[in-house]
Amino acid sequence: MSTDLKFLIVDDFSTMRRIVRGLLKEIGYNNAEEAEDGAVALNMLKNAKFDFVVSDINMPNMNGFELLSAVKADASLKHLPVLMVTAEARKEDIVRAAQDGAAGYIVKPFTKATLEEKVQKIMQKLATAA
Amino acid sequence: MKMDTMATLAPPTAAASPEVFQQLGVITRQLHDTLMQLGVIPKLQTAADNLPDARSRLNYIAEKTGAAANKVLNSVDQAKLEHANIAADTRRIAAAIVADPVKAVASGSVMNFVGDVEAATARIDLHLTDIMMAQDFHDLTGQVVAKVVALASDLEDSLVKLLVQAAPPEQVQKVESSILNGPVVNPEGRTDVVTNQGEVDDLLASLGF
Repeated sequence: MSTDLKFLIVDDFSTMRRIVRGLLKEIGYNNAEEAEDGAVALNMLKNAKFDFVVSDINMPNMNGFELLSAVKADASLKHLPVLMVTAEARKEDIVRAAQDGAAGYIVKPFTKATLEEKVQKIMQKLATAA
Repeated sequence: MKMDTMATLAPPTAAASPEVFQQLGVITRQLHDTLMQLGVIPKLQTAADNLPDARSRLNYIAEKTGAAANKVLNSVDQAKLEHANIAADTRRIAAAIVADPVKAVASGSVMNFVGDVEAATARIDLHLTDIMMAQDFHDLTGQVVAKVVALASDLEDSLVKLLVQAAPPEQVQKVESSILNGPVVNPEGRTDVVTNQGEVDDLLASLGF
């Protein structure tokens, strides 16, 4: 498993960003940066190379759905896998995320095992497609 | 924006028309009368008066919970570091004992290790105590939450009454669907939400993911 992937963690709660970052580190991914909302994240994605986005949905300025749409609409970013990690548990939100191009969807509260499983599944899928 | 600029931007025909002002006056009066009949204005007034207090209460909760979370995460970081050091030292002393037990004891390595472990476990115990103590925010914020919930409930009653009266039926669904709901507090009996990651995975699988 490649552990030099660069992650962008997007969440308006610094605590959750820190938890996701800590879990990614325990899984073996040490390279991660953080953004407090979709707008900041999009700017970072356009100005630096990232390999994976882990994003909340309910955020100020630009929410996770808007970020997902913006990423998928940008030719230089649309290849990026976006894993939604959110408290939004409505089925229509999950369906919308899938239709908009999310690579995965995790509902909070979640476990390290769930995050690890989803990240590995997405990376395997990308490796197969490549 | 300056007033003269606004005057320049405003359509001259609308600004000059007394009928427009008259119509606006009628609509305003009707809205005011309706709100009074519904009893919305007094309740809204009370709720609005309490909003600054609620805001400060919510800020208090945010500060307390944020500080507690950071305190816990810092303690966990420190404890994990201590744990990693103990694990590494254990491996090192085990190798030394296997290689030459007499030398390991005679050189003081074993006793040094024992002392180091004792000191590290004492520090880890302090971190665990810090983690336990950081949970005190729950008691404090719980009381504050109850008061804010009561205020929010009053405000919700008033606004729902207003929304039902004012919004066209076809718009109500639009308003509801534009709101992100956050955590589902009461999932029992609901079919529009998932309650665990397994249901998320099943739903995504049914969509071909």
